[in-house]
Amino acid sequence: MSAIYLRRRVTNWIAIALSTLATLVGLVFLAWILWETLRQGISALNFKLFTSITANGEDGGLANAMVGSLIINFLGIAIATPIGVMAGTWLAEYANRTKLGETIRFLNDILLSAPSIVMGLFVYTIIVLPSTVLTHGSTTFSGFAGGVALALIALPVIVRTTDEMLRLVPSTLREAALSLGVPQWKLTMQILVRAARSGIITGVLLALARISGETAPLLFTAFGNNYMTLNPIDKMSSLPQIIYQYANDPGDTMHAMAWAGAFVVTMFVLLLSLGSRLIFSRNKVSHD
Amino acid sequence: MTDPAVANHLAQTMAAPLASTKMTVRDLHFYYNGFHALKGINMEVPEKKVTAIIGPSGCGKSTLLRIFNRIYAIYPKLEAKGEIVLDGENILDPGYSMNRLRSKVGMVFQKPVPFPMTIFENVAYGIRHHEKLSKPDMDGRVEQALRSAALWDEVKDKLKQNALGLSGGQQQRLCIARAIALRPEVLLLDEPTSALDPIATSRIEQLVEELKNEFTIVIVTHNMQQAARCSDLTAFMYMGELIEFDRTEKIFTKPGKKQTEDYITGRFG
Amino acid sequence: MSAQPGTIAPPMVVEQRTRRDARQELFFRWLLKGCALLVLASLLGAAGATLWGGREAFAKFGWHFLVSTAWDPGNDVYGALVPVYGTIVTSLIALLIAVPVSFGIALYLSEVAPAWLRTPVSSAIELLAGIPSIIYGMWGLFVFAPFFSAHIKPWLTNNLGNKPDDGKLSWVAQHVPFIGKLFGSDYPFGASILVAGIVLAIMIVPFISSVMREVFQTVPTRLKESAYALGSSTWEVSWDIVLPYTRSAVIGGIFLGLGRALGETMAVAFIIGNSMTFSASLLDPGTSIASTIANQFSEASGLQKSSLMALAFLLFVVTFIVLLIARLMLRQLKRKEGN
Repeated sequence: MSAIYLRRRVTNWIAIALSTLATLVGLVFLAWILWETLRQGISALNFKLFTSITANGEDGGLANAMVGSLIINFLGIAIATPIGVMAGTWLAEYANRTKLGETIRFLNDILLSAPSIVMGLFVYTIIVLPSTVLTHGSTTFSGFAGGVALALIALPVIVRTTDEMLRLVPSTLREAALSLGVPQWKLTMQILVRAARSGIITGVLLALARISGETAPLLFTAFGNNYMTLNPIDKMSSLPQIIYQYANDPGDTMHAMAWAGAFVVTMFVLLLSLGSRLIFSRNKVSHD
Repeated sequence: MTDPAVANHLAQTMAAPLASTKMTVRDLHFYYNGFHALKGINMEVPEKKVTAIIGPSGCGKSTLLRIFNRIYAIYPKLEAKGEIVLDGENILDPGYSMNRLRSKVGMVFQKPVPFPMTIFENVAYGIRHHEKLSKPDMDGRVEQALRSAALWDEVKDKLKQNALGLSGGQQQRLCIARAIALRPEVLLLDEPTSALDPIATSRIEQLVEELKNEFTIVIVTHNMQQAARCSDLTAFMYMGELIEFDRTEKIFTKPGKKQTEDYITGRFG
Repeated sequence: MSAQPGTIAPPMVVEQRTRRDARQELFFRWLLKGCALLVLASLLGAAGATLWGGREAFAKFGWHFLVSTAWDPGNDVYGALVPVYGTIVTSLIALLIAVPVSFGIALYLSEVAPAWLRTPVSSAIELLAGIPSIIYGMWGLFVFAPFFSAHIKPWLTNNLGNKPDDGKLSWVAQHVPFIGKLFGSDYPFGASILVAGIVLAIMIVPFISSVMREVFQTVPTRLKESAYALGSSTWEVSWDIVLPYTRSAVIGGIFLGLGRALGETMAVAFIIGNSMTFSASLLDPGTSIASTIANQFSEASGLQKSSLMALAFLLFVVTFIVLLIARLMLRQLKRKEGN
């Protein structure tokens, strides 16, 4: 064998070995992070976490943060879903290949990875500041403002999946409905959105998974509240915000509670993305 | 043509007198993105007959059909010039209401496209847009449409099931039922059997034969046997032009033009 | 059919219905368009709100804001350089690590791995992208930073840095410029710019590798097959055929990762140490734009608040530009695919 041939083979072996190594490194870090979250989280889990509130400090739990997270996430999804589905529908059905449509689709992709903390400051400016001025300081930060901030982060996810899913619907379905004299808006809402339904639901679940771990935009919108509240115009705690606060606390008990909260959030997010994947793969099978 | 069924059918059409004209096409031109796709089509579609349009792919036959109910208008940059007169009115006139046109002219597409809803809802959906019916009336209308499409006996026990569960042939008959449920006057069929197996195809052809008692039917097909089997008149198109339009029997036995003869004898296309 | 054939309603009714349809259609169209314009509004709004919030800081400090390392609430003087430096350096470290690793992963998944292993491994890597950033922060703070400071940092400071424990400069620190400064530190804890960069790298690997893998799959099989037919090895096909063919999209994927890294808040806020003092050393604590805002905004007021808003505006503009480049690069490939 010539020297050239040998050198080429060695280069190839090294490349293959390095690429395998890179994959292993990725998997090792994944396993490491998940393992620590499971280990530290499960060992810190106890019943009190779900029944007691953060005002009780070391003897308390995370109940108010969990409830707050649920409310804020719900608000975020409830605001973002209708707007996102309609905007995505517009992109796919009314503005496909128009200049404005292409521009908005493009900017939406950018919004998808825009820094969430800036979105938090935006909502602070348009909701928290005005409500402080209008109510003379009696309403400042609120769960509602947190919900709006999360909605801004969920919005591009939902817009994009709706847009993509609708564009997958065969155009024959549109023609068939239009040939019956059905107006386009009815066709869109009653047939196309229905045909793309499971894809759109997947998008909403992914958006929910995305926002349920978000912390940065909540710091100056929902702010935090050591007591239980169900009122969305009160300041409100959320799990990620409490995790951040407790992790920066010097006490070990607080750290343990932060791990427990991290465990709950991680499980929630991973189950959501698993669930959305299941829905989508089932959908794919039934259409083939 | 040696198929006895075809010979029999051709003999019949030869004998039947042509009815009055339902739709007249006058000097129709069609452009997409500047491409001149139809070049001055003139034809008269007779009432309650089956008119077949044949020709090699790309000849403009589907395009012509899609102008008859202006479905082409949902895409940008398409333009039709000329006249299509249906019952004395030009349907290409922008003032001609789309609702009226679509309720008078129904269409069935190449691939069966059931809506993602129940069998019953598939048929009722279009009706609901045009008429307010009581529940029993609606049930009656749906049953009638499904019976006309020769599908009733197969689906009467599963009207509440999703239409996507039907076989391809059943789905296509459902689409026919959906179109005729609106009681149109003209029914456009765009290669309705191209996605179906031979048995399902022959059921649809049978159905076409029955439906022509009620409707004026225009069918586009790439299958010459099919045109010969079930149409009264045949139009042959080539490169965006209508080469020949006559009784089916004449087109298939004594075509007037060389191109037509070449095509039906399989010398090209 | 027994019922009367022909039109199902008199023309007048049809006309009424047509008008109603047109009205509803118009309303619906504007409703949808309004929602789509909200996407535009939120981008413009975020830029506008932070620019407006930062107007006092911009007016007071002008261009000097960008180059000043001061951050002194006592004297009410603020400059952006320390957080800007931290943001850029952490992101660059992240890219330096993540790009080769992501390329390796994408190569492994598209060319090397046996077919049965591809789906589970790629799902696992994508799982990394799904983990909330605060979990990375927790893990970085409680697990990785201590590990780093116990096992990696001493080696770095002693062998590369200009402040080794025993006072004896290594050969590298003496002879290679800048290295000594970059790795010299007497800060006792792990939290530092380097650790933040490493954690950011782990976070953006799944993004970059999934884009790379996706674009590698767009390379026509016949192209790869004809190279293999000439006797090329896996590596040669990847390096000489696949990579040049997908170059712009690969760069797009890298910029996408950079955009994520620049704007990441929580993971960095946990582990960068949050020091507003400038230090060139990667092993010293620093701060990033996002973590500065996260830490200070709720207690800030007046000019400090305005300076934080100004920082946010800078961050938004920079990430916008980076992501814009990313999307433009990625779009080129889509166009190629379409043809």
